[in-house]
Amino acid sequence: MKRNLFALSGLILMLTTVLLVESCKKQAIVEATTEDVNIVGYLDKRADSFSLFRQILERTETSAFLNAYGAYTCFAVTNSGVRTYLQKLNVATVEAADVNVLKDMVRLHLLEDTLYTGSFTDGKMPVITMFGQFLITSVANKSGVSSYVVNRQADITESNIRVGNGIIHVINNVLTPATKTIAEQLAAKPEYSIFVQALQETGYYTQLNTVSASLADRWKTVIAESNQALADSGITSYAQLKARYSQTGNPALATDSLHMYVAYHVTEGLKFLGDIIGTATHETWLPQEVFSIKLIDQDVVINQDEFNGVLELGVKISRVKSDNAATNGVWHDAGAHFMVKYRKPTALYWDVSSFTEIMKLPAYYKRANYNFTRPTEADNPIKDHYWGWGPLAGTNTLSYLYSSASSITNYAYNSDVNMLPMGLPNRPIWWEMKTPPIIKGRYKVWVCYRQQKQSSSSNMLCQVEVNGTLMQRTMNFTETRPAGTDAELEAIGWKRYTENTSNLWAARQVGVIDFSTTKQQTIRITPLVGTQNNNNLDMIHFIPVDENQVLPRFKPDGTKLYL
Amino acid sequence: MRKILIYAILALLMINTTGCKKWLDLKPQDGIVKEEFWKTKEQVKAAVTGIYSSMMENASGTYGQPTYVPSLAELLFVWGEGRADNIATATFTSRDDNDLTTVNIQQTNVNANWRPFYRTINFCNTLIEKAPEVLTNDNTFTQAQLDQYLSEAKAIRALMYFYLVRTFGDVPLKLDATLSDENIQPIAKATQADVLAQIVKDLTEAEAKAVTTYGDVASDKGRVTVYTVNAILADVYLWMDKYAECVAACDKVINSQRFGLIRGATINPPVYEYNDDWFNTLYFNGNSSEGIFELQYDDQRLNPFYNLFAINNRRWTASADIMDRVFTVDFTNDANYDIRGDGGSVRAATSTIWKYIGTTKVNSRAPDQSYAHWFFYRYADILLMKAEALNELGQGQPALDLIYTVRTRANALEATDLTPSPADKNTIQDFILLERSREFCFEGKRWFDVLRNAKRNNYQRLSILLNMVSISVPSNMQQSAQTKMQDHNCHYLPVYLYELQTNKLLVQNPFYK
Repeated sequence: MKRNLFALSGLILMLTTVLLVESCKKQAIVEATTEDVNIVGYLDKRADSFSLFRQILERTETSAFLNAYGAYTCFAVTNSGVRTYLQKLNVATVEAADVNVLKDMVRLHLLEDTLYTGSFTDGKMPVITMFGQFLITSVANKSGVSSYVVNRQADITESNIRVGNGIIHVINNVLTPATKTIAEQLAAKPEYSIFVQALQETGYYTQLNTVSASLADRWKTVIAESNQALADSGITSYAQLKARYSQTGNPALATDSLHMYVAYHVTEGLKFLGDIIGTATHETWLPQEVFSIKLIDQDVVINQDEFNGVLELGVKISRVKSDNAATNGVWHDAGAHFMVKYRKPTALYWDVSSFTEIMKLPAYYKRANYNFTRPTEADNPIKDHYWGWGPLAGTNTLSYLYSSASSITNYAYNSDVNMLPMGLPNRPIWWEMKTPPIIKGRYKVWVCYRQQKQSSSSNMLCQVEVNGTLMQRTMNFTETRPAGTDAELEAIGWKRYTENTSNLWAARQVGVIDFSTTKQQTIRITPLVGTQNNNNLDMIHFIPVDENQVLPRFKPDGTKLYL
Repeated sequence: MRKILIYAILALLMINTTGCKKWLDLKPQDGIVKEEFWKTKEQVKAAVTGIYSSMMENASGTYGQPTYVPSLAELLFVWGEGRADNIATATFTSRDDNDLTTVNIQQTNVNANWRPFYRTINFCNTLIEKAPEVLTNDNTFTQAQLDQYLSEAKAIRALMYFYLVRTFGDVPLKLDATLSDENIQPIAKATQADVLAQIVKDLTEAEAKAVTTYGDVASDKGRVTVYTVNAILADVYLWMDKYAECVAACDKVINSQRFGLIRGATINPPVYEYNDDWFNTLYFNGNSSEGIFELQYDDQRLNPFYNLFAINNRRWTASADIMDRVFTVDFTNDANYDIRGDGGSVRAATSTIWKYIGTTKVNSRAPDQSYAHWFFYRYADILLMKAEALNELGQGQPALDLIYTVRTRANALEATDLTPSPADKNTIQDFILLERSREFCFEGKRWFDVLRNAKRNNYQRLSILLNMVSISVPSNMQQSAQTKMQDHNCHYLPVYLYELQTNKLLVQNPFYK
């Protein structure tokens, strides 16, 4: 028994020592949630390519945060790229370079978001660099190989490398920020001397020569005219330009036409060509004047518009000479001389049922009824006619109604109307249309419709908004035109717009609107009381306040009647 | 006591050993193993059917997710149309599909997954390798029958490789069967020329043994006949710029007199008469006398197109200006229209891709009616391929005659008639290309047609491709996309990341750096 006890205690002792030894061993606890390297880690792994860029990160004290949690895009420069850069700075090593220059440089290579090449466009990147300037992207083809180019300075040689805290794109050259303002860049180019002198004389030079501290109003876009472009229009010197436009003799005055000419060439915001084509019209520094931009095939064309059926040819922007980034914006080169056009307000008698989508269907346009359905809220079958989704899916149909026999359309202009169900709780909740371009000015707005009640109790009282401004009067699709002479009716905001004299054909003057810019305007009809299907809209008239509001009237065959 | 124990143990042992018998047997009880297959001719036939069936496999995974594997038919559409100008993306288009249309595809894009094609190729390889063994096992299996089955497998294998080589450029050329995991080994890419040579070899062998008819229409249109082989050969020769051979292959189909165009329109102004059954015969029912090789979807095996094109959550729509640009519209006379336009290929009012969705000009299929066939080849294709080859051989007039045959059938509008002179090679090229765009709208041919014409004579007409891109890519990426297209490697898709990771011998297309 005693021996057994010994043996037992010996065993226990052994076990405990084994256990003790075991517990002494440090357990390897995995603390990292991933083994993916971060940006700096990746550069370290490929020291043969990035050792110099890595040194720069160290010297500029950026490596610490690039090795921490975050979401960055880093343009990593290869060693050969950095060497070229150092040569340009006239220093032998990274240590010898000015640290502030390096800091600026590094910040231009960093974005606080993850951007894959898929989001690169022909214009600027969607996110600004830490330096505060945007980078622009493009693609270049060198001896048959295409690759992305950043800021027209460096090619991307490897793209979309995903690391723990962001994305790395490898580039073969250092990106350097723009150092000159738009004004300075233009002044440095003798081929823009006339335009630059105009800038100086009008006082805009100083405005374009300052870099605002706030990002909100820093960026400007200038469409510059070269001496050649001006010469093509017969202007070979500044004196001639001044003689042509400066009617007051003092271009510094805001009322001077030369002043206006320059102001018309500047727009707020940073708009590279890839960005500028995204918006149809751009407001300029000339108050309430816009220029329009269209992409025709591959050309960016300024001010090519159709007014009252006449196509006015525009001016091409040269792709090669444009997209010049400056510290306070970007400037482009216009292929020819252009100036703001002053137009007299002109009446628009808008037949809402002649939109392009129906005109493309010759079997229906001016022939038969056609339904444009929106199967889901996301669909948009007609570009310029849109409506707030009706909760009852089946009511989301805009009907093009045509018939020379039906009493609903027989006396309508071109014998066609647009019909859209409206009104809560089930039907579309508003109806919005984009007009053809209307010249700026003061207009009376007339909504012309064919009265109809879906049932005897139907009501369809609506308010009208033009460009978001609520019109003074309401209108009602179920209301007929009151009796009276033209003058009596006009006095109370009604008119007969058809040749036919039935009071079912009604035009209601909903109010007066000031259009401050010449462009496509927006009109929205919102139901207030009642709901029904049969809202037959035939025309909308925008007539300058000082013109005859009653005539012309409109015949079903599409002609106008001046009596 | 002890005895009882021994007996008990013995008894237990006996029970155990008998019970063990079944689970020592490794054969599956609900399937058939390789060793037991390839014994009878019926099994060979089943394997052949399996090849066709594999082309109609469904997609796997959830659309829009990185794990999605598109079905073969979907890839046929996406590869052939996704980068071209007849389609546009829609509300439910995934990021990957979108990136394809904007020339932004990356190696993680599911549309670069060639798995469905190699799966079918492996089915073909297996048949080619194992079917000959059956001759020794089944005395009723004849050499002639074996040859015919082999011709089908070789033709399908060639067709699959033809799609791969046009889409990816260089691809791995795998000609032996992968029967089990032991057969899996890394395999490097073969050059385009090698792959094309193998395709021609396979097709030439298949042509010699293929049947002219199986005795029923569905098989004649759904299985490989000698005319299928000729059609594929014609296409391959055209891609390889071998025009005389292409014309010869087309002539074999034409001279067989088994095929014709379904009448679409008979126009004798002022009488405009259209065949109301044209859409129904050619597209809704399929297997018409115009069809040469069609994927035989039916109500038991539906195609994936309803989900792709039907209006509720469609991924692809027709490009918004397709009626203006491709088919054109006669504004002065609504009785005068191209039958392939509104209500044929496209429903203009909703921009719906109509070929696979419509029952008639205006009515759409129900979801359980989504069995429109996928056309690999139909007779109009033979005519236009021949026209293209003839034009390259300098025979402009016979080429034009063929184009006008196809145009007259459908009443192509005058506005689309380029009226080239027979000597004007380039304009005839453009004319054929545009006519093919109308005739095979959404049939997965547009991109390959454009690329074939662009790359001819060492990319002499790259401008065709660049012009197309300027239409199909959003305006803010247009310039980038065009410059990318100047890199010839950009015309081919990247190798899918999964394949790169698992097959270490694969090298990525240098454009996708």
